[in-house]
Amino acid sequence: MTGKVYIAQPDLEKVLSKLAGNMDVWVPAAPANGKWGVEFMPYHSGLAPILNRRSSLPPKKVLLPQMEALLRFEYQKDPQDPSKVTLRLDDPTADSLTSRPVLVFGARPCDTRGFLTLDRTFTNGPYVDAYYRKRRENTFFATLVCGEADSACFCSSVGSGPADMEGSDLRLIPVEDGYVLETLTERAAFILDSLESLALPPTEIQEAAAKQINDEISSQPASGFPPGTVEAFRGRFENLGYWQEAVEQCLSCGVCTYVCPTCYCFTITDEMKNLEGARLRSWDSCMFSHYTSEASGHNPRPTKLERYRNRVGHKFSYIPTNYDGMIGCCGCGRCIRLCPVSIDIRKVVQGLKEETCECA
Amino acid sequence: MTNTDIKQLCGLLHEQVQAALPELETVIGWTQGYDLLHTTPVFVRDANSISKLIWNPFCSQNLTGYLVKTPAVQATDKAKKIGVCVKGCDSRSLVALIQEKFVSRDSLYILGFPCHGVIDWHRVMLKVPATGIQAATVEDGQLILEHNGGLQRLELADVLARKCLRCVYPNPVIHDTLIGKVATPLVTVENAYRDVEGLEQQSLAERLDFWRSELDRCMRCYACRNACPLCVCQERCIAETREPKWLTQYMSISEKYLFHFIHALHLAGRCTECGECERVCPMEIPVTLMKEELSKIIRELLGYEAGVNLEAVPPLLTFSPDETSI
Repeated sequence: MTGKVYIAQPDLEKVLSKLAGNMDVWVPAAPANGKWGVEFMPYHSGLAPILNRRSSLPPKKVLLPQMEALLRFEYQKDPQDPSKVTLRLDDPTADSLTSRPVLVFGARPCDTRGFLTLDRTFTNGPYVDAYYRKRRENTFFATLVCGEADSACFCSSVGSGPADMEGSDLRLIPVEDGYVLETLTERAAFILDSLESLALPPTEIQEAAAKQINDEISSQPASGFPPGTVEAFRGRFENLGYWQEAVEQCLSCGVCTYVCPTCYCFTITDEMKNLEGARLRSWDSCMFSHYTSEASGHNPRPTKLERYRNRVGHKFSYIPTNYDGMIGCCGCGRCIRLCPVSIDIRKVVQGLKEETCECA
Repeated sequence: MTNTDIKQLCGLLHEQVQAALPELETVIGWTQGYDLLHTTPVFVRDANSISKLIWNPFCSQNLTGYLVKTPAVQATDKAKKIGVCVKGCDSRSLVALIQEKFVSRDSLYILGFPCHGVIDWHRVMLKVPATGIQAATVEDGQLILEHNGGLQRLELADVLARKCLRCVYPNPVIHDTLIGKVATPLVTVENAYRDVEGLEQQSLAERLDFWRSELDRCMRCYACRNACPLCVCQERCIAETREPKWLTQYMSISEKYLFHFIHALHLAGRCTECGECERVCPMEIPVTLMKEELSKIIRELLGYEAGVNLEAVPPLLTFSPDETSI
C-alpha cells in the first residue's frame, strides 16, 4: 500500500498523460495567459499544470458542479386529443455518473479538506445525495504538501495544516527537480501500479529529501482559533453592532461562497422552454438577499449583517455542533484573498471571543 | 510618493476629518487591509476612529457605491453630511450619481485625493508570488516590495491597475477639500481608448473568440454588478427577477453574455470607467472593456464624457428632437 515513486519535473506531463488514459485527471492550470488565477481543469496533453502557485478556485466543482441537470422532462401532447398530456422523464446523470475513476492531482491540503465538510453534509446525514456520493466514491486525491503560506492562509487555525493528509489518497511532496508521490490508502494502490515503468521508486536520497520536507512542514507551529468559538458565536448572535463593525463594507456579492471549498448550498430550478425542460441544481450563495427571500415577501435575513453572520455561524458554530466538532472551514483563505473589499473572516472569528469590542 | 509623503498626507487627512467631524455623521474612507497590498473600506463615526483612515497607492476601492446601495450610508440628522474619500476616477462616479439624483451634492463632504495610480494586486502576484510582505512602497515609478524573498523593484507600468494606465482624470473633478498636490494626467482622452481600439482591430470572429473565452469563466457571482456604483437596480436586476424571467440557471455562455451585455448597456453614457467591475472579478475578466467601448461610442456620437461636469445632462437621460448624430 505504501508505494512510492519519484517523478522528475520533465516527466510530469508524461505521467499525467498515462494516468489520464484510465482516469479523468484534474490539475491546477492557468485558464488564460496573463492571468494570475489558477483553477482545476481536466488534464489533456499539452496542458501545463501549475503546482507552485495556489489555485484561485478550489476543485469543488469536481464533486459538486456549479450546475447539473438532475432530470429532464418533456410534456407530450396526444395528437388525437390535445387536452391529454403525458409527461416523459429522463435521468441525464445516469450516463455521466459512470464508474470511471477521477484523480484530483495537486490540490493543497486545504482544498482536499474542504470535501470533508461536503462529505458530512451529502453522505453522512439522514439524507444521502446520490450524485455526490457516486462521484465521491470514484474520486482520488493526490494532495500536494504545501510549502509556503501567504497572508490570507490560515489552515493551521482550523485544525488542519500544510501537510494535513486527511481525505487524501496520495501524498505529493515537491523535492528538488521533481516530486515524490506516495500512496496513502489501499484503494489508491492501483494508481501507482498503473504507471508501470514510467516512474521508478525514489532513490534513498530523494526519499530522505521528501521526508525532511514533509517533516519540516508538518512541524510548523499550529495556531488554532481559541476554543469555545461555538459558544462565543451564540453570545454574539444578537449583537448586531458587532456584525455591523465586521462587515459594513460587504458588497453582498457571491465571491466568498463561490470560491469556498466548503460552501455547498444550492438551489433547484425547473428551466422550461416550450414543452421541454430540465430540473437544475446550481450553486447558490447565502450572501444574496433572495437566498432567503420567502414567497410572502418576508426575508428572515433582511440585510448583509444577518447574511454574513449566518456564513460565520454556519462554518464555525452550526457545522461543529451538528457533526463531530469539525470546523466547517478549511482555512484556505480564498474568501479573504478574493473578497473585493478584503473582509477578513479570521478577524471576525477571533473577535467573537474578545471581551470588549468597540461596537458593544 | 515616498513614505514621508504618505505619512504627511495621512496626517493631513486626519486633520481635515478631525476639523470637519462635528458637521459629519460618517466618513467613508480606506483603512489597512489584511496585508500591506490590501486596503478595506472603513466607516468612521467618532474621533477615536479617525486614525484608522489611510491614503496610499493601495486604496483601490471606489467608495461611492456605499452612498446609494442598500443599506445606503445616509445622515439620519439632516443637518449633518456624509464624508467620502475619492480618487479622480471615484469622483466621476459621484458626479454621475449626483446628476441622476441618487445623492445630493449638499449632503456630501468630499475628501479628494490626487492619484498617481493604484496597484493591481493580481499583477503584482503574477510578477512576484510574494509571501511575508514586510514593506510595500511606491517611489520613482517603481513598487518596492520587501518580502521573504528579499527586496524587489517592480515597474509601475507592470503593476498598476489597467484603468490607471489610461487615466485622464487623476484629480478629483469634484471635492470640498483636496489632500495632496495636483497630479498630471498620463494620457489625454484622445488616447485613453487604446485597449478597445486594439480589440476593434481584430476580426469579428476573433473578437467573438476573445469574449467567449473570457466570459466562459464567469461564475455569475455578480461582484462586478455589486461593486459598480452606478448599477442601481439592485434586487430588481434582470439577473434575478423571476417575473419576467430573463436568465436561467444554466451556466451557458449565452446566459453570461446576456447578463454582461445588459450590465454594460445599462451603463451606456453613464459609466465613468472607474474599473471596479474589472478589479473585483475573481476570474480576472476584463469586463470594463465593454463599457469602454460604449463610452467611446458615446463620445464619438454625442461628444459626451460621463461624470466630468455636474451641470451636463447625460445624453440617455434626455431627448432632443433635433438630435442628428444618432
